[in-house]
Amino acid sequence: MQFEVLARCKTTRARVCRMKLAHGVTMLPTFMPVATQAAIKGLTAEQVDSLGVSLLLNNTYHLNLRPGLQVLNEAGGAHKFQGWQRNLLTDSGGFQLVSLSKFTTITEEGALFSSPFTGEPTMLTPEESILIQHTIGADIIMQLDDVVSSLTVGPRVEEAMERSVRWLDRCIARHEASGKTTTQNLFAIIQGGLDPVLRDKCLDEMTKRKDGVAGYAIGGLSGGEEKDIFWKIIKQCAEKLPEDRPRYSMGIGFAEDLLVCVALGVDMADCVFPTRTARFGVALTHGGPINLRLSKHAVDLNPIDPDCPCPTCKDGTSRAILHHTVTHETSAAHALTLHNITFQAQVMGRARTAIMEGTFPEYLLSFFKQYFGDNGYPEWCVNALRTVGVDLLREGGKVISGSGAKWEYAED
Amino acid sequence: MAMTTTGTVNEMIMSSVFTLTTPLSRRFGPRLGQLLSKRSGTPDQVIETPSFVTSTSRGVVPHLSRDHHRATKAIRWANVPFETFLEHNPPVPTLLTGANPMHNFLGFVPGQHLLSLCIRDPADGREMPPNGNKHTSAYCLRGVRKVSPENWRTYVEACQPDMVVAMYDQPFTDPPYSQKRLTKSIERTSAWLADLLLSLQSSQSSRHRPLVLVQMAGGTNIAARKAFSTNLTDILYGKEADAIAPLTCLDEGVFGYTFDLVPLRQSLDPTTPDSPTPTADPTLPDPVPSDVSTQSCVQTTQLIPFIQASLSSLPTTKIRVTHTARSPHEILRLIQDVGIDIFDAHWAQKAADVGVALDFQFPVPKHGATTRRNGKRDLGHNLYHSQYTHDLCWMASSFSKERPCTCLACSPFSPATRIEHSIVDHDSQDPIASNTQKPSFSRAYIHHLLHTHEMSAHSLLTMHNLTILDEFFSGIRSVLSTAEGKSFFVEVDRFVDEYDETLEVFDEARLLWREVDLARGKGRLAREKSKQTQSTLGTAIQG
Repeated sequence: MQFEVLARCKTTRARVCRMKLAHGVTMLPTFMPVATQAAIKGLTAEQVDSLGVSLLLNNTYHLNLRPGLQVLNEAGGAHKFQGWQRNLLTDSGGFQLVSLSKFTTITEEGALFSSPFTGEPTMLTPEESILIQHTIGADIIMQLDDVVSSLTVGPRVEEAMERSVRWLDRCIARHEASGKTTTQNLFAIIQGGLDPVLRDKCLDEMTKRKDGVAGYAIGGLSGGEEKDIFWKIIKQCAEKLPEDRPRYSMGIGFAEDLLVCVALGVDMADCVFPTRTARFGVALTHGGPINLRLSKHAVDLNPIDPDCPCPTCKDGTSRAILHHTVTHETSAAHALTLHNITFQAQVMGRARTAIMEGTFPEYLLSFFKQYFGDNGYPEWCVNALRTVGVDLLREGGKVISGSGAKWEYAED
Repeated sequence: MAMTTTGTVNEMIMSSVFTLTTPLSRRFGPRLGQLLSKRSGTPDQVIETPSFVTSTSRGVVPHLSRDHHRATKAIRWANVPFETFLEHNPPVPTLLTGANPMHNFLGFVPGQHLLSLCIRDPADGREMPPNGNKHTSAYCLRGVRKVSPENWRTYVEACQPDMVVAMYDQPFTDPPYSQKRLTKSIERTSAWLADLLLSLQSSQSSRHRPLVLVQMAGGTNIAARKAFSTNLTDILYGKEADAIAPLTCLDEGVFGYTFDLVPLRQSLDPTTPDSPTPTADPTLPDPVPSDVSTQSCVQTTQLIPFIQASLSSLPTTKIRVTHTARSPHEILRLIQDVGIDIFDAHWAQKAADVGVALDFQFPVPKHGATTRRNGKRDLGHNLYHSQYTHDLCWMASSFSKERPCTCLACSPFSPATRIEHSIVDHDSQDPIASNTQKPSFSRAYIHHLLHTHEMSAHSLLTMHNLTILDEFFSGIRSVLSTAEGKSFFVEVDRFVDEYDETLEVFDEARLLWREVDLARGKGRLAREKSKQTQSTLGTAIQG
């Protein structure tokens, strides 16, 4: 990996970086759409490419089950299998083991779970996870970590954090022995739950291992914790992580979350939200999400956003025809998926431009004003951005407590 | 010695023509033609026949985003059943203004996509409340709607399609139909056709006037069918003549004849499933997705006499359209024994819904899909089957082992342009050249997508199947144009001998489709599931 910081915001901690991997350059900050099963839902690799996306995420747990490593090997890796010629990131598979299987037990050796095929006890070790990710062949691979829910409290959180550090060592050893360090890049995952002391300890340990690590992820968040705790952990981690490594915040996808994280120094994020919400008929816009199932859109002949560069809007696809087809025809899901991925890329692209031009604080102000408008700014965003020198309430405005996520609710 | 359909309807309709390019020695038999479609402000469009029309569901080609339906060259003509738009009153497409309203609303390109409108989905044979003297019953999600001749001409005038099927009286109550019912059907269909022709003529608007197709009435009664055709060509006198002047008979205003095969099959074999009622109880397993056309035991040879009866007294020069032919075998027989010019792609699109990648060609090629026990070759691959887990070949091997088919699944291209989201993005455009051919998506990849319930599988399969169907028709035209008619008959026999007409591979795919649905489709809404049981196109959306 070649990693270079091109510009820094003079007010916030936001930055623009150039990350060169084996399959090309990805400019940061960026949002990574999730192609769990080696496909962005409903789209082809060429369509995703045309939207200006240069980094996708595949899920190791899923690809290991299907199509399986033998097929991926025969195909020459996941890039070739799915026809994706740009950069790819795989997770370690650990998160799904915990979230999808009730019977997983964690031992020092690895994660013990019952095989979805045979029901037999199967062990996923840090070494095995790296081996699987080598076969998949993604440009960025993740260490196996000991994941606990962000709502967990007590000694289990500390145990998981410490084990994650030990497993990182095993992952580094396995990765370096493979001779794949020039084409694949290992990221560490900072754990420690919602406890700043544990997070600090983890940061210390993992940054010591910087030579074996190409980048850092902030894990164990986005699990239903208080937003005011969430951003504080992000800020703490981003501040302490080395300048010359990319920082990846896992599972973040709402526009306001993305921009706050960028302002706090995060470079990358991923989430299934924009593609999943598309299938339920929700289009993301700079004025907030639009639920196309609502009957108020039935005779609206305007596109979702006349200024959006996505194929759906550029073609003038009306809200009315989307309303007519949404949840009935897969092509409506495709149209909204194309739009939502473009929206996410646009939010991050505009951030890059603003940082380059020294206008990132102004971009934050105008984005939040348009997005939350009269509804009011989420309090946690106001709090978080104040700590990096941006006051959303500079010109007044309402504040709302709670998560503040904006939504167009169903009628009645 | 080209023969041209000459109507005297008006200058705008005159400008679009259907021309037979083979000398026509007989009324029935294979023929080559050319449909030249003109629309003001857009380039002329030429469709060589025999060819096909792509079926749509709720106004869209199932599974294809707009960029995909445009890049799929096989889609030249799309037929849109209007009934789903009756959910809203007035129907939303009628609220559009400007040129090419319906094309724009649905994302079709005038000059590239010929757009035809009909009221009902020709593949839907479900039982319906009876029609009346002044209305036909149509089906939409909010229930049954009545459409009057006046409604229909208002909708057509507002939508400005290239072609329209006049409103007709097709009973969808329990067959068989009495002679009295058939007489009524003939009278209504004639009257409603006259009504549409009159309104198109008297229309003061400068908007585009569509070509009119007429559905051939008379059911499975030879005499009734002949009587209907005679009605069309009878010279009218008195008030009736004044009403359609300057036309002297209805047929003069008609561009072509259409035949829906579903009601014919149902009438000939009452056990033909229409649209099985979906299981109301969500705890019961889903019924295996069925298809009206493929599950009927009515043979093509049983249908032919009725189609011929309709055409026996009509001009031979007009375009002949059928809907829901169930296999390429049926298509070939209808070309050979009748001289049908246009078929729909319903069966090939349905194959894409259930995971079948078509792999066949006309004339019969050396390579192709697997051979089954009965010694026949399959028309395609059931990509659900585990034999494709490791198969890294492209979908169709019929053309040759060296060349993939030209669809976007087998011959994908890197995008011509990419959106740049920031001032530093030019750096991330490398290293991929734009608009360059990429390797084919493999059978193994689509097998994987099918088993993981990924919608992309159906997008790729739809583009592929339409392209294979297009190659099939191109093969038919080339055999018809290069040699004596005789060699076409020889090639049809070879095709029928070679390929499995029982479509076993489709049945096997449907069973596996269901297995995967049961295993993975837990989150689906029951309403969406019901879609797969109907003969309408498209699969449910996974949540």
